[in-house]
Amino acid sequence: MQASRARLFKEYKEVQREKVADPDIQLVCDDSNIFKWTALIKGPSETPYEGGVFQLAFSVPEQYPLQPPQVRFLTKIFHPNVHFKTGEICLDILKNAWSPAWTLQSVCRAIIALMAHPEPDSPLNCDSGNLLRSGDVRGFQSMAKMYTRLAAMPKKG
Amino acid sequence: MGYDSITNVSIPTTASNAKEFGKKKRVNRTAKLKQSKLDVRREQWLSQVKNKGCKEEINGGGGVKMHSPDVHERNDDRPVMKLEINPGGEETEGITNHYSDSDSPSNSPISHTSSVFGSNRSHSPFTSSSSSSSGGCCSGSMIEEDDGDNGCLDDWETIADALAADDLKNDNLESPEPPQLNSVIPLEPEPVNATMLGQDGCCARAWRPDDVSRPQSLPNLLKQNSFPMNSDRFYGFGAIEFGFKKVCSPPSTCPICCEDLDLTDTSFLPCPCGYRLCLFCHKRILEDDGRCPGCRKEYDHRGQGNASLKLGRSCSMIPRH
Repeated sequence: MQASRARLFKEYKEVQREKVADPDIQLVCDDSNIFKWTALIKGPSETPYEGGVFQLAFSVPEQYPLQPPQVRFLTKIFHPNVHFKTGEICLDILKNAWSPAWTLQSVCRAIIALMAHPEPDSPLNCDSGNLLRSGDVRGFQSMAKMYTRLAAMPKKG
Repeated sequence: MGYDSITNVSIPTTASNAKEFGKKKRVNRTAKLKQSKLDVRREQWLSQVKNKGCKEEINGGGGVKMHSPDVHERNDDRPVMKLEINPGGEETEGITNHYSDSDSPSNSPISHTSSVFGSNRSHSPFTSSSSSSSGGCCSGSMIEEDDGDNGCLDDWETIADALAADDLKNDNLESPEPPQLNSVIPLEPEPVNATMLGQDGCCARAWRPDDVSRPQSLPNLLKQNSFPMNSDRFYGFGAIEFGFKKVCSPPSTCPICCEDLDLTDTSFLPCPCGYRLCLFCHKRILEDDGRCPGCRKEYDHRGQGNASLKLGRSCSMIPRH
């Protein structure tokens, strides 16, 4: 409990310092609860998510960093490894491959990497996964791009 | 790699008292050690530091009793030994070549050449220093350590562990060692090596005496600076410093719980990958999933000291055969 607080506080300070260093990630701690964080990440370039800004919700367990934080997309995203409705993310480092050496910041980086490199063989979004597995890259990209426009880009006007 | 330098420095210094005898004995001792098998050798070394240290100090030149059948055939891969035999400086190139050989197990051409280059530059000045001071200063420091009731043994073990882990982690980043020597010991500032520091990114991070992140086990070694320095000292010291730097340079706090690392924690090396954390977090991880946060490999439950020692053994075999 105390350890997780100290650790999160250190990460908070780190985030304040690194804000400039990584412009694709904006990690914000909840004002009243250090175990709740939100992150804004930019869709990686040369992917259908380019130009979108995606919101993530972090829920940090008290055993952190021995236990991984729970992360989900708040912004709708069409991605084989993200549940379309709940935003749950299928990512090994958020489950069995977690290491206490990871930080919230590095989790964000891992999620950006996942967006650029989907794993259609362990899908949470079957439609998306099937498109990719059947080789319909264009179909997948246009779907993903559409949802990026709909959900992850600022509304015009 | 670095381990060689340590053995060569520590064992000889234990015994050397008179100039000539001391030197000869060092040669004999290392030659003998070379013949025996590796693990035997390591235990022998440890016990020598512990037990024989004081006894042979009294004997002084008693090292003659060690037989030395093939010193000259064997010293190809024992750079430090050569350095001790010929402090005259005409063998600089040979020394540095051997040095880098035993230094980089991977022997990748790049690291090889660069380390040759570096050590050439940094060591040539030292070879001119008198060897007579070596006996006096070294034995003096060892006496001091022996008084400290095996304190030195613990230290060397720590260093051995650190170096062992270091071997595993950075096979091809060996080149910064020679410049490191000078950056650590500011007694003889050298413009040449200053530029070397600039070239080599990681060398700039050597500890200054006032550095906060400097491990607490170091002051023991720095104490010996009060004795006149010579080339041997520089050699061994640099290797130690080098090993320490890479393994434990970053944390003054535990990366997991962010508490400050105390003396025990700083000398605690639970995993050969070199990832450090406090004992408290280590225990919690052992109770939980038992894998090292740094490399995700299972911690060895038989105790971290044994594990690192064993690994150190196996990888110190590489450069020798």
